[in-house]
Amino acid sequence: MSFDTTNWRIIDEGTYSEPVQQALEEVLTDRLDRGEMDPTLRFWYRDTRGVPMGRFQAFEDEVAVDYVEENGIDVVRRITGGGAMYVEPGNVITYSMYVPRSAVPDDIEASYATLDQWVIDALNDIGLDVEHEPLNDISHPDGKIGGAAQLRTGDAVLHHTTMSYALDTEEMLRVLRIGEDKISDKAVKSAEKRVAVMRDHIDESREEVIDALVDSFQDTYGGSMGSLTDEELSAARKLADEKFATDEWNRSL
Amino acid sequence: MDGTGSVKVPDGKLVRVHATYDDRIESVRITGDFFLEPPEALEDLEAALEGQPADASEDDLRAAVDGVDAQLIGFDAGDLAAATVEAVR
Repeated sequence: MSFDTTNWRIIDEGTYSEPVQQALEEVLTDRLDRGEMDPTLRFWYRDTRGVPMGRFQAFEDEVAVDYVEENGIDVVRRITGGGAMYVEPGNVITYSMYVPRSAVPDDIEASYATLDQWVIDALNDIGLDVEHEPLNDISHPDGKIGGAAQLRTGDAVLHHTTMSYALDTEEMLRVLRIGEDKISDKAVKSAEKRVAVMRDHIDESREEVIDALVDSFQDTYGGSMGSLTDEELSAARKLADEKFATDEWNRSL
Repeated sequence: MDGTGSVKVPDGKLVRVHATYDDRIESVRITGDFFLEPPEALEDLEAALEGQPADASEDDLRAAVDGVDAQLIGFDAGDLAAATVEAVR
């Protein structure tokens, strides 16, 4: 699959709340869909702990409601399907690709593999034994290190991925209900609980990992460093207030 | 009456169906960690199951779901039908 590698914008800055992050996904995907934006890669920086939850998941099935409320953990429903992740500032690496649909394989399974490949390459280069595992996982022999989710619109594909760099996986089991014995059968639970953490296997800092990712991306797709525009950010802040910070959206299921 | 059924697809996703029903399935809510394109088709899938006889066979429910114009990713119409049968059993 060949890409137009001339005009990618790479954004590696900006710390936002979980609702603003998720609102940016909708704003930027829509802008690309309407032809108002260049293809973009964006790395996320967070300021609070959170749970980005899959679009079709039921709030009360996924998180320990009392625990997240007592601890100020921001649970925000994504526009993409898939599962809930627990995230901590500085301890996960999240990135988003906003890609023209014409540049992505039509086959969903192939598109996950294709859009993950530059990440697999970068992590392999720094000595991390990871591979793409269908449908949407990045896996290490010790367990799942990350997961991707996609949304397709008429002319755009959103592909975003979160990987654990140094996540507190014991805390994860207090936040997500997969930690509860009664919630699912043992086979399901053990599979979902098996999370691998990058820092157990490499010496590189999170910043160094992200630098390696940017290098690999540019080797594959080109692109140059850029920023969000004021318009993009203000649209996202508005949408966060109207949608992604509201119970109507986050607790609708 | 109401009930919940769920299917964990091997190497796939979890699909959970919550249904209220009498002789017929009155309302359905589908949740889980699956993917669906377009996402708005969730309501169409729910609507396809609503109104079906509560004792409908899994094949009949699968056929109803198959009629919806949507791409189910990480699960299929049969998984959704099986979860629904469990929910109304």
